[in-house]
Amino acid sequence: MAVGALGQCVVEGRVALPKALHTPVMNKRYGIVAYGGVLAPYPPVAVVYLEGAFPGAAPRAKATMAQKDLNFVPVLLPVQVGTRVEFPNLDDTYHNIFSYSPAKRFDLGRYRRDELPVPSEVFDVPGMVTVRCDIHEHMRAIILVLDTPYFVLSDAEGRYRLEGLPSGHHRLKVWLDSRTTRERPVELIPAAVLNADFP
Amino acid sequence: MTVRLETKATVDASFRTKLLVAMMLVVSVVAVSTLIFTQRRLAARVRADLEREFQVELSALHALQEFRDAALAERCRILASKPRIHAALEDGALDLLYPSARDELRGIMELEDGTVLEPGNLRARFYRFLDGKGGVIAPAGSSGSGRLDVKEESNLALPRLPDSPQTGFILRGRGSPSETVDEIIAMPIISTENGEAISAIVLGFTPPALGGAGTGIEDGIWTEGRLVLPTLPRQVREGVAAEMGRTLASSSSDHGGFEFRYSGSPYLLFFKRLNPGSLFPVAYQVSVHPLEEALSRQRQLIWEFSGAGLLAIIAAFLISQFMARRLSEPVERLVVDSKESREHLMKAEAALETTSLELQRSARFSADASHQLKTPVTVLRAGLEELLAGETLSPEAREEASRLVHQTFRLASVIEDLLLLSRMDAGRLKIQFNRLNLSSLLGGLLDDLSAMPDALGLSVESEIPPELWITGEKRYAEIILQNLLENARKYNRAGGMVRIVALQDGEWAVVTIGNTGPAIPKESQEAIFERFHRGAVGENVPGNGIGLNLARELARIHGGELRLGRSDGAWTEFTLRLRMADAASGAP
Repeated sequence: MAVGALGQCVVEGRVALPKALHTPVMNKRYGIVAYGGVLAPYPPVAVVYLEGAFPGAAPRAKATMAQKDLNFVPVLLPVQVGTRVEFPNLDDTYHNIFSYSPAKRFDLGRYRRDELPVPSEVFDVPGMVTVRCDIHEHMRAIILVLDTPYFVLSDAEGRYRLEGLPSGHHRLKVWLDSRTTRERPVELIPAAVLNADFP
Repeated sequence: MTVRLETKATVDASFRTKLLVAMMLVVSVVAVSTLIFTQRRLAARVRADLEREFQVELSALHALQEFRDAALAERCRILASKPRIHAALEDGALDLLYPSARDELRGIMELEDGTVLEPGNLRARFYRFLDGKGGVIAPAGSSGSGRLDVKEESNLALPRLPDSPQTGFILRGRGSPSETVDEIIAMPIISTENGEAISAIVLGFTPPALGGAGTGIEDGIWTEGRLVLPTLPRQVREGVAAEMGRTLASSSSDHGGFEFRYSGSPYLLFFKRLNPGSLFPVAYQVSVHPLEEALSRQRQLIWEFSGAGLLAIIAAFLISQFMARRLSEPVERLVVDSKESREHLMKAEAALETTSLELQRSARFSADASHQLKTPVTVLRAGLEELLAGETLSPEAREEASRLVHQTFRLASVIEDLLLLSRMDAGRLKIQFNRLNLSSLLGGLLDDLSAMPDALGLSVESEIPPELWITGEKRYAEIILQNLLENARKYNRAGGMVRIVALQDGEWAVVTIGNTGPAIPKESQEAIFERFHRGAVGENVPGNGIGLNLARELARIHGGELRLGRSDGAWTEFTLRLRMADAASGAP
């Protein structure tokens, strides 16, 4: 792997997002929908990330997944391994955030809006973590713990742009839902903008 | 006489006995069949009552079961929707399943402080989760999910996950003295991710009270070839369980019953499947009813019935006796009467035979006599006429001979009449029925009458319609009329009168011949029609006493009749009735 100058390369393109499949009306307002045993964000959105070990890339200090209007905001949160995620309660009711996912098991217990410090958890194992609320059975969110500092959420049309990437050969991956991850090799050249679409 | 009485008595006795036996037979058959029928109905009714009791009990149980199932289903639905349970099952955290469920099921499970609850309560004794293939997910450590041994736990497994709640029964402590049975309910847990069953929770309960409830009826549950019925001694229980296994193997019905004996007492057992259509092994509700009491009640009733039946039979016997006597009386009388009348008849027949023989003999005699007589008369007359034709006789002798000739004619006529009578008596006289004009017949005879020498100076009157047709044979009709006219002329006073009237009376032609003859005494009015009778007044009148008899016999043979109408000294009148030709056209 060639090690190029940091932050020189840019990759952008468009991911063909899955059709917004018919989802049950009751699930419509929620961010994560389950269909045929597959958890997917709704409306569809993709997480594009560059795979590989990038030593020296320290994780961001913290990320936030709030509970607002009996829902998680955002419902899909990609974080770098080691990131602390805070779960502030912005509703006027109790929430009890927990996860039984192998990547991270935790249980924050019941807490209210003014809970301080804000309950948080450090995600130090890569993988998909399903976050639930023990009180509100419909509430569900996904935290995608990635072993890379280079990731971005696409927009609603599937467009994305990753900047400041190291040059060289890499694998560009797209997470679409709990069962679907697509990838392609990319050759990143400094000061060049690579167009990589996922049709 | 004594002999006859004895015979009568024997006849009476045998008839009455037969009647009595028949009546008794009918009464006994009716009484016995009524008894048997009643006994059968009674037994069937006892069984039907017990079965109904069982059904009622069962439906009560069923209602309880349904209530519990509904309550459980609701709890399980809530449980299955719990995020932690789902998280454990969907996010691959089975190790957290039982700990998560422990909190959620706290309200369902039995208290762990050892509080003993009533059987049939809604608290679960244990619970287990099934995996996606129906296998049991073993709880880790002390999870508060209730203790089960390995065998019992494996009995909770299902061949596949159910779509709907399933009911079953498992044996606890199999083979031990405290062997019992728990009711289990499996509720499917539906994934929120794909809408399919991803697991099931199996809850175990104490079933409603087993054993007797003070009524003598004992309830139990049969499953896995064992009968759980604590109040029944073990050996009996095993025997009954085996019998049930055989009954179930031979019939596909999900309910039934049979009788069995235990230490000499009869019992009735009913069973009905508790969990039809379940994925769990079959289980049957079993109800054992002692029949001893019912049977003794039945026996008592039968004794009462038999006593009543006996009384009825005795009463029937007395009534039969009375009835037999009453009924046989007229029959006996009839027997005697018919016996007597038979004797009479035999006598009469014998007499008739004798008479008939005598009659035949006399008829034959008169026929023979007539024939024998006719020839000499003819010879006599011929001789006399020859004498008269000769010139040798003196005038006195000639007159004498002439009188003798006249006498031969009378003799011949008498013989003729006798011959006719004898033929009639022998039944050999057959009438040739023809249409006869009675008017012209009478006219001719009246002409003859007026032509006869008339010493008495009689006057003859007649009133005859021109056409009066009768049916008969001319020869014999003429004889009747001739005889009557002859009598009217003969038995008359000097200067008297003869009057003949003929007329039609319906289908009869009526000829009335009257004269001014002397009165016939009342006592001999019937006798004048007898053969060889001659009126006392007619000693000097020629005749032989055959005429009226012959006329009447001939009138009868013609289907008519001859009667003496009136005889009072001033007027004597004979009425002859003969059939009109037209009216008798269909007659012989």
